[in-house]
Amino acid sequence: MRTKIIIFTLCLLFIPLGILFYKVNYLNLSILPQKVDDFWHFHLTIRPRSKDTARFPLPRAYPGLRISDEKIVSDNSEIIIEHQSDSNLAKWTNLGEGRGGVFYSAKINIDPLVYKTFHKDYTQYYPRSFQKYLKVPELTAEELEAIESLEVAILEGDEDKTSAIRKIYYYVDEEIRRNFGVTKIHESLFTGNGSPLVKAKIFNIMARRQRVPARIVVGIRTPTPQEEASKSKIRFTYANEVYLNNKWIPVDTNRSYFGVRPDNFLVLHRNYDEVGKYLSKKNASYNIQIQRAKMNRFNKEVYRDEVNKSNSWLAKLSLYRLPLPLQQMFSTILLIPLGTLVLAVARNLIGIPTLGIFTPIILTLFFKETSFGFGLFFFSVIVGVGIVERYILDKFYLLAVPRLSIILTFVILFMIGYTLISGDGGFFSQRHLAFFPIVIVATNIERLSIMLAEEGFINTSKTLVGTIVIAILGYLLFSVPSLEVLMFTNPELLFTVIGLLILIGKYKGYRLSEFLRFRDLVRQKKNLEGGK
Amino acid sequence: MIFSNLHRLGILGINNRVGRYILRHNKRKLYPYVDNKVLTSKLAEDWGIPTPENHLVIKNYGSLKYLDQKIAHLDSFVIKPAKGSQGNGIIVIKEVIRTEENGVTKILCRRSNDKLMKFEEVKHHISGILSGLYSLGGQSDEAIIQSRVEKHPIFNDYSYGGIPDIRVIVFMGYPVMSMVRLPTKSSDGRANLHQGAIGAGITLSTGLVNHAVIGKKLITHHPDTGNEIKNLVLPHWREVLDLAAKCYDMVGLGYLGADIVLTPDRGPVLLELNARPGLGIQIANLAGLVPRLELISANADAERDFKARVDFSMKHF
Repeated sequence: MRTKIIIFTLCLLFIPLGILFYKVNYLNLSILPQKVDDFWHFHLTIRPRSKDTARFPLPRAYPGLRISDEKIVSDNSEIIIEHQSDSNLAKWTNLGEGRGGVFYSAKINIDPLVYKTFHKDYTQYYPRSFQKYLKVPELTAEELEAIESLEVAILEGDEDKTSAIRKIYYYVDEEIRRNFGVTKIHESLFTGNGSPLVKAKIFNIMARRQRVPARIVVGIRTPTPQEEASKSKIRFTYANEVYLNNKWIPVDTNRSYFGVRPDNFLVLHRNYDEVGKYLSKKNASYNIQIQRAKMNRFNKEVYRDEVNKSNSWLAKLSLYRLPLPLQQMFSTILLIPLGTLVLAVARNLIGIPTLGIFTPIILTLFFKETSFGFGLFFFSVIVGVGIVERYILDKFYLLAVPRLSIILTFVILFMIGYTLISGDGGFFSQRHLAFFPIVIVATNIERLSIMLAEEGFINTSKTLVGTIVIAILGYLLFSVPSLEVLMFTNPELLFTVIGLLILIGKYKGYRLSEFLRFRDLVRQKKNLEGGK
Repeated sequence: MIFSNLHRLGILGINNRVGRYILRHNKRKLYPYVDNKVLTSKLAEDWGIPTPENHLVIKNYGSLKYLDQKIAHLDSFVIKPAKGSQGNGIIVIKEVIRTEENGVTKILCRRSNDKLMKFEEVKHHISGILSGLYSLGGQSDEAIIQSRVEKHPIFNDYSYGGIPDIRVIVFMGYPVMSMVRLPTKSSDGRANLHQGAIGAGITLSTGLVNHAVIGKKLITHHPDTGNEIKNLVLPHWREVLDLAAKCYDMVGLGYLGADIVLTPDRGPVLLELNARPGLGIQIANLAGLVPRLELISANADAERDFKARVDFSMKHF
């Protein structure tokens, strides 16, 4: 019998963990849906100056860039999105009179890209499609001279491509200071100053002259909080990418990044050669706005897509396939068994007395549905009011059910009164679960007042405090957002909870409270034994 | 380990009591015989076990209307919820005062703590019992109007107000531990340890008090009467244990608490049975239950009758 229980319990404990392992490793589902913390609201307004066709780069998702809620609106133009190998270009033809504007908005989410190791690269041949990244633009004599002399100074000529690129990077990054006024290559090399674009151009030319595929990336840097506060205008910025060991490595000589694209850099277009002409202010005026949206929630949609893509029946059993209101309901309900775990530990292992068995959990749910402070305040006031009411009703000699119902009605009256006076319906609006606590609170008032009469104030207070303490512990547990999502994503963990409950249920040892209860007995016994 | 002292003394904890003794030895279907006092007293009648007389069992609100006529012949009585626990909802009326006013009989009831209750209040209390205020789990209940047992004169010097009762824990038919609960002023005349009554452990072999406590504190003298509690010698002790041991044969619960009162005329009388007897008895005896329970487990013999079982217990405990 004993071994059977142990085996059964072990199964309950570990089968869900096995399923979890299977889901993560074989179905490639995430344990938790990805966390969405920061995303950016991106708004772009473009007003072309010419009356004819115009083009402008738009963000396109790449590994590390997620785009959602994309919208394009235009006054009077017809817009075509051209998908190119390097980016998206919006092409529109100005149909009407005046300058038709195009408005683009999207939510974007940028993850950083980091390469840590860079091996030597001796690649000789590149695919034909790479020719455009190897073609050195035409240079003036002055520019050529400046670049050639720099190459003589910093390169030895026999190093591998990776080492050569690093040397070029260090020079452009460190020896040319950022100066928006200097826009000519030879001038920049001569004075040691240069605009971001000219620095990117120098790096690009020098890389290509070493027969390394390279391109200038047009992007936008998301603002720092200070920049956001000062509402500084957002401009295009430029960085580079070089093709080393079959990978495009990001390089930024303006912000000193090699092999790293930070999460504040949004790539708009990967080939300046093609898009540069559209960005010129002669062609269009543009206005970019990026606002930070702090979020701390989990992206359930992404996980749902994962589930839907997976072909396993196991994944198909997911709660994510339910309609959204049902999902919300279950994500709260699934926490209740965790609450019972807290309750079982508190009652059976520690020995905290509670008012009724599940009252603490109902109270926890009430805290969660409203808020902790309000929940506690509301509970205390209701209980206080209820006890006074019961004291008054006692004089009427009413039968129990009508009396309880009157208390219940008073609780509701109080809620209405509170909501009207405070003018704050927020706590009760659309809180379907708030109905449960009303009934529970009402029955508790009855129990509490009987307890007060029969067991006295001290015992009642202990029980009340115990109830609230467990409710608070439960609330703390319920407040861990990843726990709620973990249970919702993997409801089979409920079997693990059952397993743990069996373990607690089989515990026959002492409760912590019994240490206190029998402490005097132990001490007196020792005194008596010592006296003999 | 903080529990090592409790282990050494063999203290029975709640989890152990439930998991190893109550769940294993008490069949659920037998619970009604102890949880419902109406059933207990019927069963006891069949077995020839003395219990207080039930004058009246009130089953519905309608019978409250003529309650005054139904109790017209009573001068004292006790109101109990049939399914109550821990003495909750019990009211002892020691005197019924009837006065005529303009041809209408007014009834006042004097409780054991000398407080006066209007008859209306008595009825209200009973209706509370019927709606399940005091019952286990809050189900609707019946109210018993029971004859009030007299206090045995031996207790006059050792109790204040109400009537002391003797709790005997019976395991597999063997008495294992016992205590007498002596009401005090602070317990409002009730024999309830939680409310401040004295718990005095009784050595099974002799019927003598071994220790006495109020709450967790050891005491030697009754706080209200000032008498030394160790001088209390319980009369009819063997009969008390015989009665307790017979309760096992009667209800078949392996782990049982029998509450017994001593009456001046009838000797020991069974007040009620408890399928989940409390653990405070260990404090009153300064001893743990576990070694005794284990001794019984190892030596229990189903063939022994109650006399042989009591012999065994008196020899060992």
